[in-house]
Amino acid sequence: MSVDLDQTPRSILVWERSSFLDEKNRINSEVEQLHFNYKVSVLLPECSSTPPHLESVLTSFSRFYLVRNLPLHKLLDKEFLETAVYQGSVYGLSYRTRIDEDNCVALMPNGRLVLSLDKDSFQVLGFEGKPSTFGNRTKNRFVVTIDLTDSSMAPGGRGYLRLLTGLTSRLSLQMDFLLSHHPGGGASLQPLLSHCDWSEHTPEISTQSLTHLSCPEPQSCDPHSFLEWLGAVHTDVSSLSENSSSNFLSSLVCPEPKTTLSQALRVSICGLLLPQDVHHLVQELRCYLERSRLECWTSLTVHGFVDSPVSWGDREHGVLRGGENFYTLLMFHDHTYHIHLATGAHDTCPP
Amino acid sequence: MRGDDKKDKSAGYQRVVLKNASPYHYMKVCLVLEDESTKLSAVELKQFIITGLKTLYGEVGAALNFDLLKYDEDTRTAFLRVCSRGLVKLWSSLTLLGFYQNQACAFRVLQVSPFLLALTGNSRELQLD
Repeated sequence: MSVDLDQTPRSILVWERSSFLDEKNRINSEVEQLHFNYKVSVLLPECSSTPPHLESVLTSFSRFYLVRNLPLHKLLDKEFLETAVYQGSVYGLSYRTRIDEDNCVALMPNGRLVLSLDKDSFQVLGFEGKPSTFGNRTKNRFVVTIDLTDSSMAPGGRGYLRLLTGLTSRLSLQMDFLLSHHPGGGASLQPLLSHCDWSEHTPEISTQSLTHLSCPEPQSCDPHSFLEWLGAVHTDVSSLSENSSSNFLSSLVCPEPKTTLSQALRVSICGLLLPQDVHHLVQELRCYLERSRLECWTSLTVHGFVDSPVSWGDREHGVLRGGENFYTLLMFHDHTYHIHLATGAHDTCPP
Repeated sequence: MRGDDKKDKSAGYQRVVLKNASPYHYMKVCLVLEDESTKLSAVELKQFIITGLKTLYGEVGAALNFDLLKYDEDTRTAFLRVCSRGLVKLWSSLTLLGFYQNQACAFRVLQVSPFLLALTGNSRELQLD
């Protein structure tokens, strides 16, 4: 029997072109539906230092909290549900758990609690769920989705008691948990934090300025080549500046037609980042483009958490070789934009 | 496989869905050596990987084009680019490379993706302590 060595796991890249001025543009839903963002990177061509407005937007990104050894049943605490889940949006994600081997949990802003469990844990928990879409025939992973805002999940209700018993007496899951709340911040999470060991974190900002950068024509460059170039810029690949395809080490060159940027600025921010803050950043970048000269463009890349049980909206997400779920928004001076949404093998098509 | 999905809602709107269309795959790998103090340059690393390809797949394997995009000598971590059809060959030869100049070694494959950008934002690297 011969095995085809040329095959690679499925990957999807969605490329979309539209304008911010088009009423039907879907950019807001695409930004807001990716709930668990790990890193945002911005590239500003022909810019030498962070514009003050942009700096203030970046520093205003919401803080997030790391709760250590959180017993999961605490998420069902009545006071926590009333102050955080029913009011505003909670973003919660298990930390340092790997979705291809561990149990992973996400608390989504719409009040849904998603548990991605291995088979043993799922059977011990005894709560309704369904096999993971990506398990093929093996059925070793199960996804339990619970709407905490549903009437049956109100404290004291049948579903609530069943889940609470499951999480306290049968499957007492404990994990490190990242939490954030919009718009309440830490105050809304107090009922939970006051019972746990927690620390507060500010998203980490880093800035690098680049010089003499070969740059393709972003309007016409093919999506894969553009993403490769942008990836090379963000990873600091040096052969991009040498631009020689006969180099022994690397034949990577900037796609043609190309220009040379005398300078560019690369800014990135890391942590548990809220879609609302990303949205705010997009608006600020649009203002920056309006203020700057013609033919200017800027790119914004948002990486989702690799081990989140969901990617866009409620879509199930997993890890096969890599759990990539990210999008790159390329904005132009004339309010048009290109967005590239990418997912790996264990993910559905982006919205 | 390349499919053009839909739909001109308005003149300016266009949506294209590309499935498995990535021409390259990217790997982030780290070489672990028994003797941590051994120095290895980028050229030596690439030559070493080519040797591995040749051992496992012969001359055909040695002719496989791959690029060493970036290399950090201190951590011996490298970013490799290989055409998607060659990924399995490259990966398997990395796995089977067990000796570098008579000392035990191993390649740790840290991340693999059809998008180089994905290698710049891996949430498993988030350190909060």
